[in-house]
Amino acid sequence: MDKRHSNERIEYIISLVFSIVVSLLIGALIMIANGRSPLVGYGALLKGAFGSKYNIATTFAKTVPLILTGLATAVSFSSGIFNIGGEGQLYLGAFAAAYVGITFISLPKGIGIILAIIAGALVGGIYAYIPALLKVKYEIDEVITTIMLNSVAVLFTSYLVNYPFATTEGKMGGTEIIAEGYHLSKMVRLSTLNTSIFFMGIIAIIIYYLMEKTSAGYDFKMVGRNSLFARYGGIDDKKQMILAMVLSGALCGIAGVFEVLGVHHRFLQNISPGYAWDGMLAALIVKNNPIGVIIMSIFLGALKTGSVSMENATSIPSELVLVIQSIIILFIAGEAGFKEKFKVWNTRRKAKQKAGEKNA
Amino acid sequence: MLKQVFNLTLVQHTIRTATPLILAALGGLLTEHAGMLNIGMEGMILLGSFFGVLGSYFFSSSLVGVIFAALVGLLIGLIFAVFVVDLKSDEFIVAIAINMFASGLTVFLLRSIFGVKGAFSSPDIVPLPRLQIPGIKNIPVLNIILNNHSIFVYISWILVVLVYIYLYKTPHGIWLRAAGEYPEALETAGVSAKRMKYTSSIACGVLCGFAGAHLSLGYLTLFTENMSADRGFIALAAIIFGRANPIKTFGAALMFGFFDALGIRLQVLGIPSQFTQMIPYMATIIALLIVTKRQMAKWKRI
Repeated sequence: MDKRHSNERIEYIISLVFSIVVSLLIGALIMIANGRSPLVGYGALLKGAFGSKYNIATTFAKTVPLILTGLATAVSFSSGIFNIGGEGQLYLGAFAAAYVGITFISLPKGIGIILAIIAGALVGGIYAYIPALLKVKYEIDEVITTIMLNSVAVLFTSYLVNYPFATTEGKMGGTEIIAEGYHLSKMVRLSTLNTSIFFMGIIAIIIYYLMEKTSAGYDFKMVGRNSLFARYGGIDDKKQMILAMVLSGALCGIAGVFEVLGVHHRFLQNISPGYAWDGMLAALIVKNNPIGVIIMSIFLGALKTGSVSMENATSIPSELVLVIQSIIILFIAGEAGFKEKFKVWNTRRKAKQKAGEKNA
Repeated sequence: MLKQVFNLTLVQHTIRTATPLILAALGGLLTEHAGMLNIGMEGMILLGSFFGVLGSYFFSSSLVGVIFAALVGLLIGLIFAVFVVDLKSDEFIVAIAINMFASGLTVFLLRSIFGVKGAFSSPDIVPLPRLQIPGIKNIPVLNIILNNHSIFVYISWILVVLVYIYLYKTPHGIWLRAAGEYPEALETAGVSAKRMKYTSSIACGVLCGFAGAHLSLGYLTLFTENMSADRGFIALAAIIFGRANPIKTFGAALMFGFFDALGIRLQVLGIPSQFTQMIPYMATIIALLIVTKRQMAKWKRI
């Protein structure tokens, strides 16, 4: 890596830390306005996220869907195709896993789990293939189509689990419990942390290796930076975009699979409280850097877990972290612009100073 | 059973459910014309609903509620413009931040101001006035369909016409469209494209604020968590389906409102409503496909 590049990266990390600190300070001001001490509030949050074995386990359990959907975002965004449809792909992947889990009930333990993961990845990937095809063939904006397809998937699975696949246990908007052989084992008592974190780790390493160390990953990024240039370089940019989108959809599908196999053991109609959106934010904040996605997901997971304890201990509503998160995103979105404005202001100031010296 | 579903009340409900879609879509098509895709309407509507209730409850006046909703919309529209126009941020990332901010802030305030979880309703929230058109009182059909609606229903219709005239018949409207299509040409003509983008974004915020106020003060006076329930995205669908033309977008919003109203009635009868709810999203994708296919065919002929 050349020096300019690493300087840019360090500069970005500085702005990132600055953005997070300012956002947390704004959060502190909101706490004060609410008549609560920010020290007590953030203290409770920190303790809630990392204070005990159970809390740490819960924080890391939250990172599983975030890292998977975050990497999904990184793969698609760095290839120049924007998959905003993660939530829908996650829902369909989760349902596919549940379907496998209630249909093939006598499969041996390992094989069943792998089959469910493949099913989820396949369904998520195929669902992402539709907007990718519309994009490369007809130039239809994939941001719009994936947003629309999110709602379609959520509604469709909601139909499935309320009518043809509804559990007989009562009206709960869920499928039957999947067969015992599909349950991923819990790792810490009472927490939702389960062995899916190991599967996720393997997948994350594969994606990191693919994106950063192979020529395939280089091709993806080339297309993302400049598809026309990549085409001249002999890369089939359309094929790359479709591939990136399908891979991204498959990752989101797998995120859904783990929610079913590891946490709920059935598909529920509101199975994700927006995991794919949070994962996407993690990727956006770190500009699609795979390692960054993992660090950011742990940070966001800690905020989520900690906020619940903060609410219990200090009665500060946990939604405060959503406000803080959104302000971080805003700062990051404006980062380049802020810097630019500051540079312009700075040169003007210097020019004025010089003009002043001359006059004197 | 058909009679239970398809009757005059369905038309009445269609008009009612379409109104927030119409208001938000009118705002969104303004930014669309100015060259900005606004996915943040969802959050703007949600904030509008909450602040509408807040104003109406504390000042015992629905007018103050509407003003609160409009002001918060104005502020968010301004923030959107500052980031997208001045700081050149990605419009889509800013919009996602706005949506997240809205869902976090409304629930946070709901709990810290009113001390409740889920929903807040109170007899002290003053609803928006309903309008009775005297002339049609004695014509039974029109009376059921058109009378006794909340005031924003009628305002939204007038706005459709006004926005149409504004966009296509006034110089200001032409500038706004030019800001999206030919910003350089507009600058050469001495009009600031930046200013037009700001104007459209702020107008969009205010209109989404109105949409929110209609939701929370129009018929039932209450605020519930995530009250906007995807309406911002359906409004976006209406804009794309109507190709950002106010009249066509109005038609699309009415159609989507119809399917929404129909879905609710089917659900009462035990028929799955998910498929009728899917229609706006599916229709948008199909419409996009048809439009581009037609365009591609045209290019081929040339």
